[in-house]
Amino acid sequence: MDTSQALSMPILKRRSLLMAGLGALAGGLVRAQTSPQAEEALPSFTGPGPNPYWNGVNPYVVYPQKLPLLRLTDRGVQLETPRAYFLTALTPNPAFYVRYHLDILPNAIDLAKWRLNLEGNFERPQRLSFDDLLKLESRSIVAVNQCSGNSRSRFQPRVPGGQWGNGAMGCAKWTGIPLKALLEIAKPKPGTVQIQFEGLDRGHGPEGKGSSRFLKSLDLNDPVLEECLLAYAMNDEPLPMLNGFPLRLVVPGKFATYWLKHVTWIRALTEEDKNFWMASAYRVPDTPNGSTTPEDVAAGKVKTVPIGHFQMPVRSFIVDPDGSAPLVKGMKTAVRGVAFSGSGRVVKVEVSADGGRSWGVAALGEYLGPYAFRTFTYFWTPKAPGRYTLAVRATDEKGNTQPDQGVWNPGGYLWNKIERQEVTVIG
Amino acid sequence: MRKVYLALALFGLVALAQSEGDGGLVEAGNYTPGPLGQITQPLPTPAGEGSVYRVGAYPLYTPELADGPGKELVQGYCQVCHSTTYITMQPPLPAATWQAEVTKMINTYGAQIPEDAAKAITAYLQAHYTPETRK
Repeated sequence: MDTSQALSMPILKRRSLLMAGLGALAGGLVRAQTSPQAEEALPSFTGPGPNPYWNGVNPYVVYPQKLPLLRLTDRGVQLETPRAYFLTALTPNPAFYVRYHLDILPNAIDLAKWRLNLEGNFERPQRLSFDDLLKLESRSIVAVNQCSGNSRSRFQPRVPGGQWGNGAMGCAKWTGIPLKALLEIAKPKPGTVQIQFEGLDRGHGPEGKGSSRFLKSLDLNDPVLEECLLAYAMNDEPLPMLNGFPLRLVVPGKFATYWLKHVTWIRALTEEDKNFWMASAYRVPDTPNGSTTPEDVAAGKVKTVPIGHFQMPVRSFIVDPDGSAPLVKGMKTAVRGVAFSGSGRVVKVEVSADGGRSWGVAALGEYLGPYAFRTFTYFWTPKAPGRYTLAVRATDEKGNTQPDQGVWNPGGYLWNKIERQEVTVIG
Repeated sequence: MRKVYLALALFGLVALAQSEGDGGLVEAGNYTPGPLGQITQPLPTPAGEGSVYRVGAYPLYTPELADGPGKELVQGYCQVCHSTTYITMQPPLPAATWQAEVTKMINTYGAQIPEDAAKAITAYLQAHYTPETRK
């Protein structure tokens, strides 16, 4: 049944659908943040229930090279991208979200002195200047960078951590040197098991602890290495400082925890990386969708794996309408947003105007690559005034689609529940 | 005086027209005072020179923490590595979760906090930032 059929049903039945929509309200319905009124501030925190807003509730702030973004924390810096910037497949650099773990992050970098160091178990260790990198053959890929904890504020029960709404993500065209090309230059010696990455950011904690250095490693035999880039350009511009100038690791399909910023050291390791950021942090339950229960965690029953074992699950977002303005009966409305999947091309986006009971297929925008945002548009003409619940769900080329149930794990990772938006139709 | 009468008469006509529904206006001229939604615009500064890529200082905001015993310890010890927006950003968390957070900061991240101070910090967080206590 498509939505036009749903809307032509008799009044009585439509009313029961409306009730179903209201029921969804209790289930964590996403609400507008672009508000029709400006008299009262959002609450400064949400909980213990789920955050009902599309973004987190944090204040707008202005940072170097950035448009006003939503500040989660100021030291380390964590800034969320407001909803309105997701109408396009490429997220503008000045609107791109920011997430640091440590608080001593660069304000100024001297390119004449900066070198990319390939060290450790390499046959030919390298010290490459930025000019050296620009002379190597480059490649571009359009890919989504999404924080592992994007949408963490939806979790029930709530979990500690960055209380992101949906805006800890962005999509850019990344240009740089394929990681494999650099590895071919430096040649990992036999016995190399992992490649470790480290940037210029540091913390105030004691050496040897996760509060001092942020380090991530990828297995040498991980197929993702074939697609990794060391990017010096983001949407054809130098990287903004807060997004990793001068060089950032791009790991298509994987969560952003692996996308190290300010990359300066690439190390060939002969043993598995046991540093905090691999062994303890960013681990998810070893279950098919990374979900578990608080009870099983408390009972010590949960075996975990690094989040890098997962591709980013398929997701889609309604960006417009956002509920800040009423729709008008009889007027054609474009329901627009973006979808993506870490497992490859999004092949279908469906939109519902009755809270997910019936679905219609949306038109997809330009295909920019398997790991890029795909825009979608779905036209809907509301035929009667009232409250409606829009919903969106995407399907990728592997057949993965979005569940209507939220995952739960103690880290607040891997959220990809079907998104909903309540709208009011007048007339 | 005549002008005022004229204005009043016109006003009356407008009001009359609206009350008959042709204008449809329900509300107009509604303003609310206050700084809500306002962000100070930073002064542009030189972005770099020579071979140096430079951005300005990152703004630091000091969140308001609840008043109570232990507040100064939180500001002293927790802010060595991170600002206290890490506390105010959280949803109300159960007392046991705050206990676990403080333990994690000490054991996992290596925070140098004496035992009695750690206890006071935990008690402070539990006194103000749980579902039962958060305001």
